[in-house]
Amino acid sequence: MAPLTLYTVSNDLVSSLLTALGNAIPNPVGAWLKSPDLITGLSVLVFAAILLAASMLNTILLIWWERKLLGRFMDRRGAMHVGYAGLLQNFADGLKLFRKNTFQPREADSLGFYTGPAAYMVTSLILFGILPISSGWNSGALPLTLLLALAIFSFAPLFIFISAWSSNNKYSLMGGMRSAAQMIAYEVPILLAVVAVVIVAGSFDLTTIVYEQQNYWFWGPLVVALIVFVAGMLAEMERIPFDLPEAEAELVEGWNTEYGGMLFAFFMLADYLRALVGSILVVLLFLGGWTLPTWVPAAATSFPLAGIFWFMLKTYLVFGLFVWVRAALPRVRTDQLLRIGWNRMIPLSLLSIFLAALLVTVKCLPFLGCVPSPGS
Amino acid sequence: MSEMWINMGPQHPMTHGLWNLRVKIDGEMILDVDPEMGYLHRGIEKISEDRHYNEVVTLMDRCCYVAGFAWEHLYILASEGALHIQPPERAEYLRVLCDEFQRIGSHIMWYAAFVQDLGLMSPFLYGMRDRDLVLDLFQSYTGARMTYEYMRVGGVRSDLPPGFTDRARQVLDWLTQRYEEYDQLCLGSTIFRKRCDDLGTLKAADCVAHGVTGPMLRAAGMKRDLRRDRPYAVYPQLDFDVAVADGADVTARYLVRMEELRQSVRILRQVVDWLDRHPGPVMAEQLPRWLGAPYAPVGAEGYLLKRNFPKGVGFSSVEEPHGEAQAYVVNEGGEHPYRVKFRSPVFANISAARQYLVGYHVADIPPIMGSVDVCVGEVDR
Repeated sequence: MAPLTLYTVSNDLVSSLLTALGNAIPNPVGAWLKSPDLITGLSVLVFAAILLAASMLNTILLIWWERKLLGRFMDRRGAMHVGYAGLLQNFADGLKLFRKNTFQPREADSLGFYTGPAAYMVTSLILFGILPISSGWNSGALPLTLLLALAIFSFAPLFIFISAWSSNNKYSLMGGMRSAAQMIAYEVPILLAVVAVVIVAGSFDLTTIVYEQQNYWFWGPLVVALIVFVAGMLAEMERIPFDLPEAEAELVEGWNTEYGGMLFAFFMLADYLRALVGSILVVLLFLGGWTLPTWVPAAATSFPLAGIFWFMLKTYLVFGLFVWVRAALPRVRTDQLLRIGWNRMIPLSLLSIFLAALLVTVKCLPFLGCVPSPGS
Repeated sequence: MSEMWINMGPQHPMTHGLWNLRVKIDGEMILDVDPEMGYLHRGIEKISEDRHYNEVVTLMDRCCYVAGFAWEHLYILASEGALHIQPPERAEYLRVLCDEFQRIGSHIMWYAAFVQDLGLMSPFLYGMRDRDLVLDLFQSYTGARMTYEYMRVGGVRSDLPPGFTDRARQVLDWLTQRYEEYDQLCLGSTIFRKRCDDLGTLKAADCVAHGVTGPMLRAAGMKRDLRRDRPYAVYPQLDFDVAVADGADVTARYLVRMEELRQSVRILRQVVDWLDRHPGPVMAEQLPRWLGAPYAPVGAEGYLLKRNFPKGVGFSSVEEPHGEAQAYVVNEGGEHPYRVKFRSPVFANISAARQYLVGYHVADIPPIMGSVDVCVGEVDR
């Protein structure tokens, strides 16, 4: 039996609905309703709608999680008033932004100014679409999911730079420049750290990588790669200590200085979507995805949607780590950031590749643990 | 990128007030800076000429929103010099109490703003939380948290409420513990040291040449503190050390202010003990009635008619949390001061911006200007 995936669910849903409708309505409309092309097309739309809803809901929940966690780190409570424990606060904030007037600076370039945030948002959404969340939540078995995800992930600075440049604001431009420099400095170590995972797992497919971790989560044997990857992700997400492109102390709000209302909300949502995707990638590559160690009793994984539950729990904990870093660390300077990237991260990631190759060859290393042989 | 001028201000997160720092940059490098002040000018010196002596105290609170007491004290000292009035000793101790608590409040406020310039978010709220305790103390005996209007020519407005000294000791104990946390969060952080060491260097000779005073001067290794070098109020009776550091950079300024926080606690413990042991009047008894003397009934010996009142000139200098503030008050025999003139330490400290900003990165501007501790209210007055 083929595994029950999100797409098969939406396909079944659409086909049963359309078949019932087509049987009730006389031909030729009925026959057209039952045609496989229409069913496939509509089920893709339903699939996309579910993805959109899930990603937006998770993003908003993530903002709430960050606000509450940051509040606790700062000896306060965070949002408290709208909804239970402030759960609906972000919806209220979103509505407020939605009602605001959208404006653009007089000398700004309309094309870049408006397409920038849209493209940023869209690329972030695509990311969420291609990542497997559990054995059933999977958009399809692409053999190169990991490469595709990282490729789309690194699009964002381009759109940031477009919107920064077209804002016709010196602060925005400087923020955009920093974003571009940061991307170049951090794409390389991230990719190299991922190579270590790929060597050990023997696949670019995220689902395979997760199942390779059934017995051994990679964070132990590949701890060097994990450190590089998390640090690089912090820079990719532009979070403190690497949030130079929007360093509010000197650049006002960095590349999105001139954006307000819904356009700002786009950037904000996309930022957190990317943070979510970053946390998801950490979970997928290093923390065993939706699987649990074998010594966990079977009851923990047998309830409905258990995979998604454990996966999201891990994701939110990983994001909690990012929030912790944000609460505790100051921001580095541009040249220091680049120096960390080129002088520290790249040698470290090369070391992690070496360790991974060594692990695959000799299976076990002192202090780092063991890995299964690929494809076992 | 070619060279360009950018305006950091008058509305900019870095300014912590209302002023404009024009910066000429090439990429991320600072080539030239040009500080522009004057956006917050309210004419306090001119307005003072039209107010009674005690009414000017209200304006002094508005000089600096974090150091109102220091400016009250400054003005009151100069006025008392001009009016030939000597306050009772308890009032002087109370003023030192105000001053030192104000220094703690101001330095904690500085800490909060400074770490936020570096992107540290939690310590900002820790600082604000701890400063609130100091403000609570102020509220308990002045009724206000920022604009106190507490000091008077010839003394202070009222004595402390019962139980104040115990509360003050509790706050001091709490703050002493918190200072450790502050240091762990900043000095213990590698990124903090990497950002702040050898940053915004201003050597002692340059400080003197540009009239830079206060923690910036002491951070350059010069041991100058008006509380010790030109003592006023009851500072000679109190035991404290002058905080100095050698680096002349942002870290050194941080160290100096942290040490001053600890020295202020030390001073306050002595002051609070003294206040417990020595009850007494807080207002001079021989005050001219037009100054609003509370004790002197009409016709009493101490009652002085205005027309008989001697003329005079008063000068005072006070170690304000930001530096050396000076005041000059001329009494021509009227009910109002004839002329009031202040010297703002922050004005001089900002004016030297070209000396300590050029050659660093744009990202260094917030921590450097943060380490200067800008309070625009007193710059523009």
